Amino acid sequence: FTQSQGVWLGISSQPPSIHLSSKGKQCFLVLRQQQFNVQALVAVGERASKQMVKFAANINKESIVDVEAVVKKVEQTIESCSQQDVELHIERIFVVSQAEPRLPLQLEDCVRPEGEGDEVRMRARALGPRTTTSQAIFRLQSRVCQLFRDTLTNKGFVEIQTPKIISAASEGGANVFTVSYFKTSAYLAQSPQLYKQMCICADFDKVFCVGPVFRAEDSNTHRHLTEFVGLDIELAFNYHYHEVIESITDTMVQIFKGLRDKFQTEIQTVGKQYPSEPFKFLEPTLRLEYSEGVAMLREAGVEMGDEEDLSTPNEKLLGRLVKEKYDTDFYVLDKYPLAVRPFYTMPDPNDKKYSNSYDMFMRGEEILSGAQRIHDAQLLTERAMHHNIDLEKIKSYIDSFRYGAPPHGGGGIGLERVCMLYLGLHNVRQTSMFPRDPKRLTP
Amino acid sequence: MPMYQVKPVFGDDIKTDLPTCMYKLPNIHAQRSASGCSEHALQNGTEVVDPAFRDLEVRQDKIMRRLYELKAAVDGLAKTVTTPDADLDQTVTSLSQSPTATSFRGTADLDSLLGKDLGALRDIVINANPARPPLTLLVLHAMLCQRYRVLSSVHVHSSVSGVPAQLLSCLGPRHADSYVRQRFQLGFTLIWKDVSKLQMKFSIQNMCPIEGEANVARFLFRLVAPYPSDPALATLVDSWVDTAFFQLAEGSAKERSAVLRALNGALGRDPWLAGPELSLADIACYCCVLQTGPAASSPANVQRWLKACENLGHFGPANPLLQ
Repeated sequence: FTQSQGVWLGISSQPPSIHLSSKGKQCFLVLRQQQFNVQALVAVGERASKQMVKFAANINKESIVDVEAVVKKVEQTIESCSQQDVELHIERIFVVSQAEPRLPLQLEDCVRPEGEGDEVRMRARALGPRTTTSQAIFRLQSRVCQLFRDTLTNKGFVEIQTPKIISAASEGGANVFTVSYFKTSAYLAQSPQLYKQMCICADFDKVFCVGPVFRAEDSNTHRHLTEFVGLDIELAFNYHYHEVIESITDTMVQIFKGLRDKFQTEIQTVGKQYPSEPFKFLEPTLRLEYSEGVAMLREAGVEMGDEEDLSTPNEKLLGRLVKEKYDTDFYVLDKYPLAVRPFYTMPDPNDKKYSNSYDMFMRGEEILSGAQRIHDAQLLTERAMHHNIDLEKIKSYIDSFRYGAPPHGGGGIGLERVCMLYLGLHNVRQTSMFPRDPKRLTP
Repeated sequence: MPMYQVKPVFGDDIKTDLPTCMYKLPNIHAQRSASGCSEHALQNGTEVVDPAFRDLEVRQDKIMRRLYELKAAVDGLAKTVTTPDADLDQTVTSLSQSPTATSFRGTADLDSLLGKDLGALRDIVINANPARPPLTLLVLHAMLCQRYRVLSSVHVHSSVSGVPAQLLSCLGPRHADSYVRQRFQLGFTLIWKDVSKLQMKFSIQNMCPIEGEANVARFLFRLVAPYPSDPALATLVDSWVDTAFFQLAEGSAKERSAVLRALNGALGRDPWLAGPELSLADIACYCCVLQTGPAASSPANVQRWLKACENLGHFGPANPLLQ
């Protein structure tokens, strides 16, 4: 572009910092618009009077301004802004919406690498996400959701909406929220599982749904929320449940590729505040069997039984071993032992100890737990009785398989956790716009 | 493959009304399965009826078998006219030996070569740059598949945005049993990645990664067949392998023509480069020679040797990538 172009910067420019030079003749502002910021200058001269400079210096931080300025090239690169080779020489400046002089938090604190301002930042949600990093994170998250929908729609999936107020706890157990429902009570859905499966039985062949999931787990960890966005897939297959695994992993790989190819700017922006290794993956996705995982852990010195479930430290260690051997952050562990899976998991026809179920891991942490589901009402009843589950409570679930159900399987991922692990962040609350956990209910 | 089985929908006691006005044939199926001794009776019946017929059948079988043996012998002889005697033993004398017998000596050997099996697939992971596909390793992979049950898979790493289709199918079609990794003795995972040097990883606890196509080729060859026990011969093999990879594949034009002259000289004296049989030296040199130029541009002895190599049939996997 030619030097000295005039430009009118629209409404949402917000100066996060204003500096007045000592003699009062110049005022530097940094104007920000979503992910990018640029230095601007008001100097006493033909277009600006001394009063204007004083006015500019007194604008509260984070106010919204309208600016008419001339773009000028600078010789020295401006390190502190995203636009490093130009600055604006302001000719007119107006305040559109003034911010209060005392802000609940300083945005400079928000951009510091470690979580000092975390608590305050979580509360002032109208302010915290204004940092370039947060903007980048949430834009990336929006893109993940979009890639998920696009990839599945191109594969012929149908998007469905499932109810969140349900009459019976779908996964069984104590981790449900109860709501009062007129004269009785109802529950908030822990997962759309039951309804996804009913849609498959209703001959939709391939479905997915995007919606909130509510888990009343009293876990205060870096990766648990009580409410999160679940991206769930369910599909009927023709010959072998590996078709389901391939479909899900292909969707994930398309999401990763879409982010890798088109969102490098956002990934770099996040990387400045939270540095991490870039995310690596293989196509087609690596699939290891549970017994192989156990053997790798045993080789590394861990003692565990053949049918024992993987503890979180073991999962992380296995993730590191896989990363070292295959150099991938994303892989599938197939053929879990039957004993550690829910009652509706289809057992392995070749080996009674194992099941047709799988978990997927990103950076050593689990993001998806899925399986081939039992589609025969008789077998389902047997397995439920084996697990001592009250058949009355799941009667309608079992009934849906009595009228002709295709073999099917699926799984679900959490949007926030996937984003967190893709970017290498350490707390899922950073990727949740308004996080919910056992101790947080507002904003 | 065994899968969830649907229970039979129809019962098997459907009654049908047969017409009574037609001539009824005795049921030919019921006769055989009705009683155990009826089969015996049938055989006896034919013996009684026509013993000469059975003798005739037996004689015919013998003649056909003899014919096949002769045909195979002639084929073998035809090959020896163009190829030194590496495969003569196999084609002529080992007809009765089934191929599966040789491939199942596999597990015991693998345990001694690679260490005890901990109950999981022993997976060899090779990271290669798609700009320089390792032909030698593809040939060795084919030889491994003949001796062991190998689960082969090809992946593309995220550091590479895309590879041509022939690189994705270079290890051959997917094995029908590949959904159960446990059924295989060895895994061969080829990952196309942006690496500067070819790299192999096998046991991350006990082994460091192996770099360089020559070194990985040596490792894989030892799983296929042992190195010659004579130290001089073993060194000769190693020296040719190094020559192939360093001077032929990566050298300047002068170095390459020098190597081709040396090859020409060596092949004038012996049919193979090191000893009486095909060895790793021949495999490596074949791949590197053809990577640098078409066969027709090599000296005469080298061309004859290239043809002999092709006749052995091991080099099939490399050919599509040479075009």
